[in-house]
Amino acid sequence: MKIGDISKECGQLVTIQPSDLMPLPYPYDKVEKDRAMSALTADQKAQYEGSLDGVVGVGIPKPATKAEEEALVGKFLSGLTKLFEKENNWTFLQPVYHSLEYCVKCQICSDSCPAYVASGRKEIYRPTFRPEVLRRIIDKYVKKKNRVLLKLTGSDIELNWALVSRLAELAYRCTLCRKCAQVCPLGIDNGLISREIRKIFSQEMGIAPKELHEQGSIRQLEIGSSTGVNPKALANIIKFMEDDIEERIGRRIKIPVDKHGADLLLLHNAGEFMSWPENTEAFAVIFDAAGIDWTLSTEIAGYDAVNYGVWYDDVQLARISTRQAEVARGLGVKKINVGECGHAHKAMVVVADRVLTGDLNIPRESALPILRDIVVNNKVRLDPSRNNFPVTLHDPCNIVRLMGIVEPQREILRKICPQFREMEPHGVDNYCCGGGSGFAIMQSMNFPDWRSAVSGRMKLKQILDVFQDVITPETRKYVCAPCSNCKGQIRDLFNYYSVWDECGILYGGLAELIVNAMVDVKKPFIEWEWR
Amino acid sequence: MDIFLAIFTYFAYIFIVVMYSFKAAEYLRLPTHLRWELYPVIYETGHKYGGSRYETLNWWLEERKRHPFRGFFFLLKEYLHLGEYFHRNRSYWLFLYPWHVGFMLIILFHTLCFFGALFTVSGITISDRSPDSIGIALHCTTLISGFVSFVAGAFGSAGLLVKRLSDPNLRAYATPLNYISYVFTLAVFLSGLCSWALADPTLEEYRRFWAGLMTLNYTKVMPLTAAHIIIFNLFLVFLPFTRSFHYITRFFGYFLIRWEDTPNLRGSKLEEKIERMLNQRITWSAPHIKAGQTWKEAASNRT
Repeated sequence: MKIGDISKECGQLVTIQPSDLMPLPYPYDKVEKDRAMSALTADQKAQYEGSLDGVVGVGIPKPATKAEEEALVGKFLSGLTKLFEKENNWTFLQPVYHSLEYCVKCQICSDSCPAYVASGRKEIYRPTFRPEVLRRIIDKYVKKKNRVLLKLTGSDIELNWALVSRLAELAYRCTLCRKCAQVCPLGIDNGLISREIRKIFSQEMGIAPKELHEQGSIRQLEIGSSTGVNPKALANIIKFMEDDIEERIGRRIKIPVDKHGADLLLLHNAGEFMSWPENTEAFAVIFDAAGIDWTLSTEIAGYDAVNYGVWYDDVQLARISTRQAEVARGLGVKKINVGECGHAHKAMVVVADRVLTGDLNIPRESALPILRDIVVNNKVRLDPSRNNFPVTLHDPCNIVRLMGIVEPQREILRKICPQFREMEPHGVDNYCCGGGSGFAIMQSMNFPDWRSAVSGRMKLKQILDVFQDVITPETRKYVCAPCSNCKGQIRDLFNYYSVWDECGILYGGLAELIVNAMVDVKKPFIEWEWR
Repeated sequence: MDIFLAIFTYFAYIFIVVMYSFKAAEYLRLPTHLRWELYPVIYETGHKYGGSRYETLNWWLEERKRHPFRGFFFLLKEYLHLGEYFHRNRSYWLFLYPWHVGFMLIILFHTLCFFGALFTVSGITISDRSPDSIGIALHCTTLISGFVSFVAGAFGSAGLLVKRLSDPNLRAYATPLNYISYVFTLAVFLSGLCSWALADPTLEEYRRFWAGLMTLNYTKVMPLTAAHIIIFNLFLVFLPFTRSFHYITRFFGYFLIRWEDTPNLRGSKLEEKIERMLNQRITWSAPHIKAGQTWKEAASNRT
């Protein structure tokens, strides 16, 4: 297909068949094992824009009239213009300018993109496709180049609603893992361009996946957490956690809450409280045993580390990080520690560094170094033989490639997991789980099928490859994923392919493995059951 | 003709310097942005495996060690080898590398021509029989750099033209301007090769032309040499309209974006800059943003 085809008013642009997809290793090496992604129902097709690839992630309602379409196209164009204004986009103007102006389209980045490769190299998913569409729109409609120049630069593209609505969906077919940027010798960041496109839709047009916006960042700022957990519900959850810890380890621990002047405020992704409470409980057990002076907060946004703004909206990003820092300031803690949540690491510690000024600029760090300090310096007693099963590590992009925390988690695993093995590639060269940039929580229509079959496929391949010598379900295996969103994606991915039944692979966090190895905890902490 | 060639040469060099300076200024004037680095960050102690200061407990208490030259040498090595292309797309590298060698050596060639002319004006003979060793060295290096540049550049230009046309992955994104660029560079290198082989094998004439530019005593050159000078000058004028400035912006992109990890410390100049940015007014018009507020006001609001 040609790049200009994105404007064609022709129904669905691309179809994905199981036979197109990148082959998987045993026991998924037969195409029949790949079920076809569910198609949109007639009703969904009539209601929502899905003409890109027959998948709906954003869920844009179809405009009722041509005039409505034109108004939306006009809005898109005004948003695109603002992307190049210092006042409106100082946050990313230089990076976006660099990537749009100086890409030489050598396509060296293509094979690094897990979604592009796993899809069977569908052109629309190529990392350079979106930026090229945007570049052509800019040349013709923003810079208003004359016809000769447009021909010379190949920028003759028609801006219409078909293009705009497809581009909205297309911005949500990239997980922002930035592996493409890492291999670019010129420093071009095509992942960033996907994010900038998302910003146009969110900040100018008010269009974003509801899981990220209304039910995500808006809800977090209003009631405290994107999960819907309000401070009162949190108090009940903490009580439940204390009961559960007592049952699991045989003694009661008082989880410190709203403790003024504590050394650190621990920020968990609130999804952990709901879906994987064993992770937050494990932190409590470890910190208690190691004598750490810590606290949780029950203030709005102070108990949920997530910051979905980092995926789609700079204003929301700034609001959430500001609110989280205000909570820490109010508690008078010495520092903020981010639990096992990748994007929260990147948002809170790195990106928000240039949003938080004055007394809001409180030291912020990952929880991984403190866990490493506890394990490596024997601050708790550990017996590695309790973790004597094959373990591999998934590197969350935000923690590793985007933040440079590579070794602490490995030092821990080498010390407590005798059968630890690395998947390939790993570290800063890792592949995304397929649920990055909000995909893991986006449950709209058939989008979950797409992220299991396409964006998560490379990760599944890596996991199956690393366990090939023990792939049968009789040997229990563990994928350590120190990130809530990655865990959510791996959960759905494993469900989609029945990985627990077929291969006996469990997923979970890092803290659970530490507690599982603690001598003072009599019962195994990891429960080998499918969630 | 002599005076035309001279004026056109002055113009072409001034034009490219002005245009590139303008482009550099345009890039560097862009505001401080949010951090968006990508690891490995070359300054970091753990850069070999991609590690960062965030691996250290209480990282802000550690002294920040930077190794600025490491980044410079890393990029220099990349320029000289194009390693990512070598490892990831060998068939593309096969043409891209000689093409870039052609460019690097043609810059070196002209620099040597300039100094050769300068020495000639100063009374030093530039030839293989020069009594001055500097004269012999300049003669030999000019010849070698010119010859290798012309051959490698011509090979690379023709190869990349064919590669862009024949590889569907590249063709879909190629523009007429890309093909024009390849043809243009092919003309530059081939004209240089022809001039050297058929008209000016010692490059004496070319050096005289340069000496004339310095002394304002413009000399006549043979048609083949004149053709190369004109094509090369046209190429210099053409370059700023292409993406060729990536030679320079690559440095900017790495140092100002990809490796830019300067922490915002309280009371620092960076904090002052950020404060200025946060006090700018925004006009985004989505329902959850109140247009006209400053970034700081918007960040303080919950809706």
